[in-house]
Amino acid sequence: MKRIMIDTAKCDGCKNCTVACMQAHREGPGTIYDLDLTDIRNESRNHIEKVADGTYRPVFCRHCDTPECVMSCMSGALTKDPETGHVCYDEEKCGSCFMCVMNCPYGVLKADTATRTKVIKCDFCENDGGEPNCVKSCPKKAIYVEEVNV
Amino acid sequence: MNQCYGCDTCKSADKPLEGFIQSLPMETSHHRVDGQSTKCAFGLQGVCCRLCSNGPCRITPEAPRGICGANADTIVTRNLLRAVASGSGCYIHVVENTALNLKKTAQARGELKGMESLAHLAELFGITEEDDYVKAEKVADAVLDDLYRPEYVPAELIEKVAYAPRVKRWKELGIMPGGGKAEVFKGVVKCSTNLSSDPVDMLVNCLKLGISTGVYGLTLTNLLNDVLLGQPKIRMAPVGLRVIDPDYINIMITGHQHTIFVDLQERLISEEAKKKAQAAGAKGFKLVGCTCVGQDLQLRGAHYTEVFDGHAGNNYTSEAILATGAIDAVLSEFNCTLPGIEPICDELKIKQICLDDVAKKANAEYIPFDFENREAQGELIIDKIIEAYKERRGSVEMRLFEDHGYEDTLTGVSEGSLKEFLGGSWKPLIDLIVSGDIKGIAGVVGCSNLTAGGHDVLTVDLTKELIARDIIVLTAGCSSGGIENCGLMTPEAAKLAGPKLRAVCEKLNIPPVLNFGPCLAIGRLEIVATEIAAELGVDLPQLPLVLSAAQWLEEQALADGCFGLALGLPLHLGQPPFVTGSPVAVKVLTEDMKSLTGGQVIINDDAKASADILEKIVLEKRQGLNI
Amino acid sequence: MIHVIIGAGAAGMTAAKTIRQADPEAYITIISTDEHVHSRCMLHHYLSYERDEKTLCFVDPEFFNSDKVNWVAGKTVKTIDTADHMVVLDDDQKYSYDKLLIATGANSFIPPVGQFREASNVFGLRHLTDAQNIRKAAEKASNILIVGSGLVGLDAAYSFLEQGKHVTVVEMADRILPIQLNEKGGKAYKKLFEDHGCKFILSRKASDTHMNENGEIDYVTLDDGTKIDCELVIVAAGVRPALECIQGTNIEADRFITVSDSMQTNVPDIYAAGDVTGLSGIWPNAMKQGQTAGYNMCGIKTQYIDKYAMKNTMNFYGLTTLSLGRGVEEEGDVVIEREDSHNYRRAILRDGKLDSILLQGKIDYSGIYQYLIKNEIDLSGIKKDIFHLSFADFYSIDERGAYSYNV
Repeated sequence: MKRIMIDTAKCDGCKNCTVACMQAHREGPGTIYDLDLTDIRNESRNHIEKVADGTYRPVFCRHCDTPECVMSCMSGALTKDPETGHVCYDEEKCGSCFMCVMNCPYGVLKADTATRTKVIKCDFCENDGGEPNCVKSCPKKAIYVEEVNV
Repeated sequence: MNQCYGCDTCKSADKPLEGFIQSLPMETSHHRVDGQSTKCAFGLQGVCCRLCSNGPCRITPEAPRGICGANADTIVTRNLLRAVASGSGCYIHVVENTALNLKKTAQARGELKGMESLAHLAELFGITEEDDYVKAEKVADAVLDDLYRPEYVPAELIEKVAYAPRVKRWKELGIMPGGGKAEVFKGVVKCSTNLSSDPVDMLVNCLKLGISTGVYGLTLTNLLNDVLLGQPKIRMAPVGLRVIDPDYINIMITGHQHTIFVDLQERLISEEAKKKAQAAGAKGFKLVGCTCVGQDLQLRGAHYTEVFDGHAGNNYTSEAILATGAIDAVLSEFNCTLPGIEPICDELKIKQICLDDVAKKANAEYIPFDFENREAQGELIIDKIIEAYKERRGSVEMRLFEDHGYEDTLTGVSEGSLKEFLGGSWKPLIDLIVSGDIKGIAGVVGCSNLTAGGHDVLTVDLTKELIARDIIVLTAGCSSGGIENCGLMTPEAAKLAGPKLRAVCEKLNIPPVLNFGPCLAIGRLEIVATEIAAELGVDLPQLPLVLSAAQWLEEQALADGCFGLALGLPLHLGQPPFVTGSPVAVKVLTEDMKSLTGGQVIINDDAKASADILEKIVLEKRQGLNI
Repeated sequence: MIHVIIGAGAAGMTAAKTIRQADPEAYITIISTDEHVHSRCMLHHYLSYERDEKTLCFVDPEFFNSDKVNWVAGKTVKTIDTADHMVVLDDDQKYSYDKLLIATGANSFIPPVGQFREASNVFGLRHLTDAQNIRKAAEKASNILIVGSGLVGLDAAYSFLEQGKHVTVVEMADRILPIQLNEKGGKAYKKLFEDHGCKFILSRKASDTHMNENGEIDYVTLDDGTKIDCELVIVAAGVRPALECIQGTNIEADRFITVSDSMQTNVPDIYAAGDVTGLSGIWPNAMKQGQTAGYNMCGIKTQYIDKYAMKNTMNFYGLTTLSLGRGVEEEGDVVIEREDSHNYRRAILRDGKLDSILLQGKIDYSGIYQYLIKNEIDLSGIKKDIFHLSFADFYSIDERGAYSYNV
């Protein structure tokens, strides 16, 4: 499967990936120049944390081999695609119980801020050619896509 | 759940304040720190360039140059020069208005309160006039004349005001400034798109801007202020949110231009104003100090005991001061008037009036200070504030914090009042330094920010570390506001000092930290240093004196810092000024500066480690002086 | 290999999927009383007409075809012939098995109060059939009494409030959601429900009923004598395991079916998973148990290790809560509590480790806390505020890009 690999040492915390993710998942059309950075509905699926020593830790969905989120989903909204290996999320099916938020050991998931009805979850930009926009936007190549053995 | 806006506020050295802010139902800057905690390293290192449409360009291993070809050194030093020029512009604006106000007052034959300062300035400038008003006008004109010169015409007053050995060195380095305003102009031109790419030239230019900032903005502003508003006198005063008396119509003042309030502060205690206030249900008017103009008023508080309630807190305390509900209006004329006070003012129906449009707040009414119409304008302002008072009181919740702060805090320290306190001579202080009872002097100056450990955290911790090492601390700026609200400027704080400094403080009944007031008064600290150096017959870099702008905040602080470096002083910063992406900038500022001016930048965010470094420098300087 | 699974809930369905993945050749049969595969945790969405039989399904509708699973729907297993490896249905049909999984779940417990057990308008809310019956009864009911203010009780209350009905919730404890939340945590929900018209009666229990001539309860009397008129009663007072099919067999049970760590019962080739084992009533744990059983039934030795069960999330009216641990303070504990207008947070630290945490309001990125609790991670060396911890503080990533904890 394809996975977004992370070279933490290269991350400079510019949050380009975060903005790119917001842009890729915005509701209406538009460009990065008119992306409303104050609209809580524009949420990023990734986040960057700065740790005590001043370095950064990109927290991105791993599309885990044994995804704990899928193993907690009582609506069937979260599934692991046997073909791509990616963990897919079906917003329509979701029961908004947020057991997946509780179960993701890496603290990647969150409830959507505006309505608390959806989970904010990486979709590997499947609808955008499957090339994650975060990766394309990283000026440091701290994140990159690689095929990994399952 | 309760009514608090959010518990995730940043830490404050002032723990009671931290608790108070946490309990507030409105958002403050302290709440916003958390959401801004992941900072972009390109920005932090100063290697993001937005000077042209090809940008923003950022420096990475794969892209070591911007599209134009600028490398990290060029990008960083351009950004720094731009910031220093901007900061210098701010101080030059303040001194220009101060000189204009003095000039107009002299022409109108208004009250001049600081005759000693006037005499001192006239003597420095070589003005020999009998009539004090003519003298004052000529003094103001001399300053304005320098400010308005082109950059290529050398300024006149610098040689007269600055310490001769320093002037000599500046001439050797070719950094004697021309007109103060033109220097700012030159600076911003130099760092614009595809102009200078020479990092060392731009860094040296920063020193030049530092000199004009320091001589005019930091030194002369104080002395001109003293002429109009009176010389500081040492006294005890209360500080903190306790100073707010809800029985009065309270006006919080923010900014840096004390002379704008000359007329208003008299008018507020006139019988007429009092009657108006009483008719509205209040006992009268009070000014509540906040930011540096509050420090200025506190410094000269001996002259304003009736109208001035005391200093409530620094820039990042301003939201808390407003949140008490007992402030009826904010009068602002410069920074540090945070945009974040606006929604609070709206919510609590606090009238915002802005007197100088450089600090125009979005929801403030703009009433440009107009010297000729100052009387009518004062009445207008009073009426508007009374209106706000009537509308808001009773309908707005009060959250007073009467226990906050300290009752007996030493204030009113200046180069003049301190010397007078010492018996008219610096000798007692020099003797204490020579004997080692005072190991050295540290100026803990500049701003307050929320990111060096939290609100005033590094500033206060470093101050405690320094006094514990018998290094006396002199303060100026918002650092003063934070330190005094933490109790370090009460005589009781002597027990936090090392044994020798403690004994000195207890004998003289003074705190181990002396407050010189606003950031402008950094100039006063430097006068003290210059006078001591002159008495010893040494140059400034030889003194056991260090500066720390531990929690520097803004571009003005960077211009201040450049003055410190031009004076040849070691300058500690808690956070780097967005320069670490450039090896050249780092080397010049932290190492090469020693051979240029004698100064150096020290960057360290740990209080103890910083104090260790500064103490070591003090000890080396003592050794150099054989004491 | 022939696998028979009794029950089409979280454990049974997960076991079927696991077996199919592990053994493409296996014969798999699921026998369920339920005629629709449905998520019990979403039945309230059925009551409120937000979902129907189809959208309650938690697997792909094509699952039985695509995974080649034979589904015997609407049939109940009467007994198990463990000697002959055979299950017998209520219509006497027989299915033989090589491996059997009992994942029959649980049924609502209706306490013997007054005529609760006899009346035609008293329901538990556990199966889709319950929800179907309730929905029908609710059509003509406007006053609804709910006994119990746990998650099921409040789920039901929410659905009826959405339909503008008068809802009264009676709770024995002095606060709502007494198992999941402390008083402060419950208060925010109480207010939200009350704002939507719900009436709560706390510290009281139903002690008697009055049944009318139609066999319906028309009022319930509480232990203080208060009478509450109602046309429909939902009893949300807990569940009992569905053990009917093992009665008279040699499969051991002590209130629940006893299982080993591999989810095997005392009888070889017979496994049990889900609520019937009493190990945990939490959906994710039922899935894990089903998965573990599935692997072992295929001969892949697997143990049920991830047993931590004191966890829950809830979401009513957009207020989300995560609750981990018992939340009960003991001597020597460090309790950290934070409260503001949007959040209530409480953590209990015991011997430097996180024992319990309650996050109400913002629960973003909170998945780490379950890991920290169940793995008993020592946090005493960490200076950061407990509520500000993130995976970044324990970050480790391997050459395949998988995360793990650096502790």
